[in-house]
Amino acid sequence: MKKSLRIAAVIAAVATLGLGACGDDDSSDAPADTTATADTTATADTTAAAETPSGKACQVTDVGGVDDKGFNQTAYKGVTDAAAEFGLEPVVLESQAETDYAPNIQSLIDQGCQMIVTVGFLLGDATKEAANANPDAKFSIVDFAYGENEDGTPQITNNNVLGQIFNTDEAAFLAGYLAAGMSKSGKVGTFGGINIPPVTIFMDGFYYGVQKYNADNAKSVQVLGWDPATKKGLFTENFESLDDGRSFAQNLVDEGADIVMPVAGPVGLGSAALASELGVDKLSIIGVDADQYNTDTANQKVYLTTVLKNMDVTTFNAIESVVKGTFEGGVVVGSLANGGVGLAPYHDFDGAVPQELKDQIEALKAGIIDGSISVKG
Amino acid sequence: MSEESASIRKKRPANRERHSPVMKKSQIRQARISGSIIFGLMAVTLLFFIPAVADTGKATFRLSTPDDRVQLDPLRIPVTGSLWLLAAVLAFLGSLQLFRKSQSRRTVILGLSFSIFVLVIMLWATADREFSLVSMLDATVTNTTPIALGALSGILCERAGIVNIGIEGMLLSSAFSGVVLGSLYGGWIGLLGAVATGGLVALLLAVLAVHFHVDQIIIGVVINILALGLTSFLTAQVLVQRPQLNDAPIFRSQKIPLLGDIPILGPMFFDQTVIVYGTFVLVAVVTFFLFRTRWGLRTRAVGENPAVADTLGVSVVKVRYLAVLYGGMVGGFGGAWFTIGTVGRFDEGMTGGRGFIGLAAMIFGAWNPVGAFLAALVFGFFDSLRQKFGLLDTPIPTEFLAMAPYLVTIIVVAGLIGRVRPPAADGQPYQKEQ
Repeated sequence: MKKSLRIAAVIAAVATLGLGACGDDDSSDAPADTTATADTTATADTTAAAETPSGKACQVTDVGGVDDKGFNQTAYKGVTDAAAEFGLEPVVLESQAETDYAPNIQSLIDQGCQMIVTVGFLLGDATKEAANANPDAKFSIVDFAYGENEDGTPQITNNNVLGQIFNTDEAAFLAGYLAAGMSKSGKVGTFGGINIPPVTIFMDGFYYGVQKYNADNAKSVQVLGWDPATKKGLFTENFESLDDGRSFAQNLVDEGADIVMPVAGPVGLGSAALASELGVDKLSIIGVDADQYNTDTANQKVYLTTVLKNMDVTTFNAIESVVKGTFEGGVVVGSLANGGVGLAPYHDFDGAVPQELKDQIEALKAGIIDGSISVKG
Repeated sequence: MSEESASIRKKRPANRERHSPVMKKSQIRQARISGSIIFGLMAVTLLFFIPAVADTGKATFRLSTPDDRVQLDPLRIPVTGSLWLLAAVLAFLGSLQLFRKSQSRRTVILGLSFSIFVLVIMLWATADREFSLVSMLDATVTNTTPIALGALSGILCERAGIVNIGIEGMLLSSAFSGVVLGSLYGGWIGLLGAVATGGLVALLLAVLAVHFHVDQIIIGVVINILALGLTSFLTAQVLVQRPQLNDAPIFRSQKIPLLGDIPILGPMFFDQTVIVYGTFVLVAVVTFFLFRTRWGLRTRAVGENPAVADTLGVSVVKVRYLAVLYGGMVGGFGGAWFTIGTVGRFDEGMTGGRGFIGLAAMIFGAWNPVGAFLAALVFGFFDSLRQKFGLLDTPIPTEFLAMAPYLVTIIVVAGLIGRVRPPAADGQPYQKEQ
């Protein structure tokens, strides 16, 4: 029928035409605590001049937006920190839809950015194409590592992309262990945004952390919402609809979970709103990416901890390497060992977490770092 | 007034034909198609679902939450036996369609068959497992709310002949103003502000469509893009710097005494937030006004044939303005749900296309408020079913379940099942002949 065609046309039009709003973030935050330097070996050098911006450090966000209190925002902190440190102008373009990725990247190339940070697995293809078409531009992509094509040639022909990947399962493993130890109902839950590796790696680690707790303490805490064996679980299928965060968490609570780890960017803020309403006895939240106790101040009391993915550190290091001329394409891996991932402080729950559990988690962390404990189940 | 209604009735001969004893060729074809669909569902049940479950499997549905005053025992249903029974019912309904001469209640029979099939899937997925049925139904009503309000907004506009595809933009902009005003002055002011914002955006639609005769599809697209761009811009420029403006109180669920304690139905319908109650009331109010008042009759007349309405002394401009304004305000009320009705904060694009789903519900519900609400319930049901299935580890991809209601909408809109007809003058600017 004519009407449905019109509707389809409109949906397509809206998806294509989504506007990219561009905003300068408040960059007065103190630079990242660089005790946690990820794999790059360069040490921080503060002699760089910071008077007039001599270049641009740029970022393309995923659809969550630069103020998502997680993923995009953390990476952007790395950009602004580096910009402040090395006298660059920070530029960010937000993607409102997947169709914005390529035009946003092209726009930044045209602006002559020294480094373009693309945030997110979903920008993998767009970044690859832009990098191969523009050998002089330098890229760093969060959550993506390029390999080889089927014929053995490298996917990136000019060695101008630094992929940042994170062993978030190491930190999520600790979070799962903690959640299992703190759950009163014997059930903990998780849900993701989309069933893609950078999301499910959190859920894998969480799941195996709970199993580890069960094995160590002869308990049988259940995980709802993810099964690493079948790769199936609970997904909102978006990173925008905060009300999904609320209803998915409600669903898990109704099925008996009292601790939930949402891995869906800002959608998890909806889960925090529910926890705030129900009270932390019924539901507490494990945040992801940036320490959500600090970023989601409205509901900070509900965060048991946060699985940190310190993209700001790796992004900072990547930009630094460009400024110092030591940039090389390839892959950096953030891990517990180099501080690229970690577990945030317990904050308000500090008194509630038994000392014994804290000690177990510290021992676990040491074990993961020295390789004696596997987080892969 | 009687003259007016006579002129309306003349435009809709379709209703009478449907009940005529002799079936037209196209009707026979439609009956065959729906009969075949029903038998198809039965075949899938027999060949796929029944062999897939163990003979002794029981599906457990919890009917109470621990907090409920009246505790019901969980429902334990033997799966295989129930599936055979349901397959038999499908066979019966399918043969009704294939071999019966009369055409009446075809839509009902088909709807029933689809519901039975959903039940089949639920039983199969839950074999030897359990989930909380009451929680799923409760979530259904919650998920339905924004879709139903979007659909109502569309109905009010389109019944007066103005196509409103800017619902998504209305929801988004009022979600934004709702959270800002709510943070500053509290939830009720936020709600008022959201309703007013919806009305303002609708005025833009009305002015451009009624006065300037701009193509209504284009205005709708512009409103959607404008709302997305503007709210994203303001979020980045204002809310990020001043997070205290993005922290509004949330309307809590208000349990209605006694009614709220009714098992299953209580949590669904009588333990909800103001905005959900408001949706129920609005469905009733809009239905009443559209079909039982002079204003409604005039609105529908303008939507069907503005020239005739004009000749009879109805001010087409005034009627269209008011209808669009009311539609926008209903949309604004729906926008408030996203922020002060659920999570208390705004994020870019957080309405996630619910305005468009509302449009689909409007069409699915044949431009009728009650129909649209039921259609929205179907969408909401699948949304919450998908969430439960995500926990059950079923072989059905949950993406497929998310898609299912749209598949049904396409079937409906394509005219295979029931015929839905938009108001005749929908989308046509009216220019008075001089």
